[in-house]
Amino acid sequence: MRIGRFKRSLLSAAIFAVFAAVPAQAQDSFLDVGQQEPITILINSSPWYAGFEAVVGLYEEQTGNQVELDVTPFGGMLEKARNAVRGAQSPQDILNIDAAWTIEFYEGGFLKPLAEIEPSFELPENVYTCGDSYYWNEEKRWRTSEGGVLLAVPPNCNTHVLVYRKDLFDQAALSEPKTYEDVLQACETLQDEPRLYGFVTRGERGNGIRFDWMPFMLGYDASIVADPENGDYTVTINSPEAKQALDKFIEIMTTCGPDNIAAIGQADMIQLMAAGKVAMAQSVIAAWSNFQDPTKSAVAGKVAAAVNPAPEGKDPGVVMGNWHFAVPNNIPEARQKAALAFMKWFLTKEAQTAYAEAGGIPVRSDVLTELSSQPEYAWMKAYNESMQKAQQVLGYAEGAEVEQVIGLRLNQALIGEMSSAAALNAAAREIHAIFQRTGRNTGMLEPLPE
Amino acid sequence: MAEARQIGADGRLRSTAAAAGDEAPAAARPGRGTAHDRWFRYGTLLPAVVLLLMLTVYPTVNLLMMSVSTIDFVQGGQVWNFTPARNFGRLLNDHVFAIALKNTLIFVVVTVVAEMVLGFALALLVSGAPRAKGIVRTLMILPILVPPVAIGSMWKLMYNYDFGIFNQALAVFGAMPLGWLSDPRIALASVILVDIWHWTPFVFLILFAGVEGLPKEVLEAARVDGATTWQTIRKVIIPLMMPSIAVAFLFRTIFAFKVFDEVYLLTSGGPGTATEVVSLHLYKVFFEQNNLGYGALLSLVIIVAIVTFLATARRFAPEAR
Repeated sequence: MRIGRFKRSLLSAAIFAVFAAVPAQAQDSFLDVGQQEPITILINSSPWYAGFEAVVGLYEEQTGNQVELDVTPFGGMLEKARNAVRGAQSPQDILNIDAAWTIEFYEGGFLKPLAEIEPSFELPENVYTCGDSYYWNEEKRWRTSEGGVLLAVPPNCNTHVLVYRKDLFDQAALSEPKTYEDVLQACETLQDEPRLYGFVTRGERGNGIRFDWMPFMLGYDASIVADPENGDYTVTINSPEAKQALDKFIEIMTTCGPDNIAAIGQADMIQLMAAGKVAMAQSVIAAWSNFQDPTKSAVAGKVAAAVNPAPEGKDPGVVMGNWHFAVPNNIPEARQKAALAFMKWFLTKEAQTAYAEAGGIPVRSDVLTELSSQPEYAWMKAYNESMQKAQQVLGYAEGAEVEQVIGLRLNQALIGEMSSAAALNAAAREIHAIFQRTGRNTGMLEPLPE
Repeated sequence: MAEARQIGADGRLRSTAAAAGDEAPAAARPGRGTAHDRWFRYGTLLPAVVLLLMLTVYPTVNLLMMSVSTIDFVQGGQVWNFTPARNFGRLLNDHVFAIALKNTLIFVVVTVVAEMVLGFALALLVSGAPRAKGIVRTLMILPILVPPVAIGSMWKLMYNYDFGIFNQALAVFGAMPLGWLSDPRIALASVILVDIWHWTPFVFLILFAGVEGLPKEVLEAARVDGATTWQTIRKVIIPLMMPSIAVAFLFRTIFAFKVFDEVYLLTSGGPGTATEVVSLHLYKVFFEQNNLGYGALLSLVIIVAIVTFLATARRFAPEAR
């Protein structure tokens, strides 16, 4: 989808009018990036898109530079990005790349190191590095700022939070859930199926269940691979800790979720929460605006966000599923400069504040801290705390394949087709085979008793 | 000598020239001519041949090469490694592919049989109701016109566990809701139902044209001879319509074997592997995992399966007998 020029101008004018009416924010001076070539951004129509669209309108208004948005559903993003970098010249100047896809682009050498566009450029101090996934250390084949080259900047650092019905919790005199036991207890008190389910998160096969199980896995101190950063690809997904994590996940999902929990995707989960049919949801923060928008949500103003629950006596597991703004190698220098100019503007405190006010999820800790004191941005506290704990997983070239293995086996365990031990053992065998095929230094744990 | 023709004892038209042992002069033989004529013919054919090579032969050869290789992207360029053993070894150990193959076969058999039977029955019914033909034909064509994405969204909403019309209807009768797309026991059946809804009209249109083209005097004769409706259908209509039936059958079988959109949009192959089909598995390997070599091998398997089916089906097609 392309945004029409007239529509964009209208939007820009509306945004400008809104910001002109908010002197506290509008009086801040925005970064002057000078006159730049028009650019095109490949952007996904994910739940946080509206906030981004608004801030792009503001950029055009502020700088007079033109930005075209190539808005694409999540499912088509990877293909468009691949086509862009593999062609003679990319039609887009900024590609938004999901965390899971970055290795392919980094390792393939398709992206322009940002310091090669502007030698002094680095991520501003208050901008989150989201588990360092914007840097690529070619020698280690790992995303790290230690010895790594900066190849991208964050449009958002998506993490899970626990979204819950504050009104129902207050009525039942329940406090914010801190542990999985709290979740089960609250679920027992509040659940009244099919009118109201206790808890929901994604259980559908593939990326959905894999990503939403990761907080459980990390919370129970389990891992997929021993130490990939340092080259140890021993498969550890069939550890007793991972089994505990999977058993707890299945217990909560089957006790508190609807009967079709194994088919629930992101849209279903958002729909259930927004329709007031669920008391708690483990959701990515990017979906927040869907719950608070009265035109979309029956529970606007009734929900609160908390840091993900943890196993008893442990820290919560928080996983990162962030996005990456990157500049392809195969565009002219002037367009690369224009792309970087937008990124620099976007990461300033002023732009990030405007981004938050338009419904976006900021990536600066100072903006999150300052705004979270205001009631309408109270969710930012949970998000900011989550960011401190969040981890990257699957940061290796085989990540996409490993995800499919885990996404299938977890789903089979959830629907009862396999026991949790059998599912994890099968996943371990298959992941081990993948690493053997790609020549990694690998091994695997003893199988769990089935 | 000009070719002579005569009617044989079995009523078929035969050429008698070959039987008489006559030989036509070389210049008069079809396909021969002066050198100029030949160059003209080859020259005019050349663009079509080049186009054909570009559109079919090159991609096929490229696919073959990919299927025995591992393709990596390094420094913005492609690096091909010849690894046939790795790709074939992976194919033999790919349990998801084996399940996908089984599901695909079930999908093909059930959908094609159901669509052929329903399409044929509808064609007969509609042809017997002259006044309703126009409106029925228009209504029947609608599912074919709806884009697959819209079909996926529409049916996903109807199958929705909490808000879908099917479970709302069940609730009216006091029945428990069903996990149409989440219960592994019925998920494939749910997808099959969508395919039948989507493609039965296609079969109907082909067979309806066939029914409309049947010689009325033959049907009249059968009626006069006292044949029952069932006998007329079985002994007269079906044999006469075999070419139309064969076309519809071949098209639907090939399309059903390649089914992708309905499965991708409704279940993405889940729950578990309940609705995994070959095309979807190929998509995941090729596009999501970025394993171009192994993905090419899987697509080659699909091509071989379809070509084998076509070669087999031709033997039973009426034209070949």
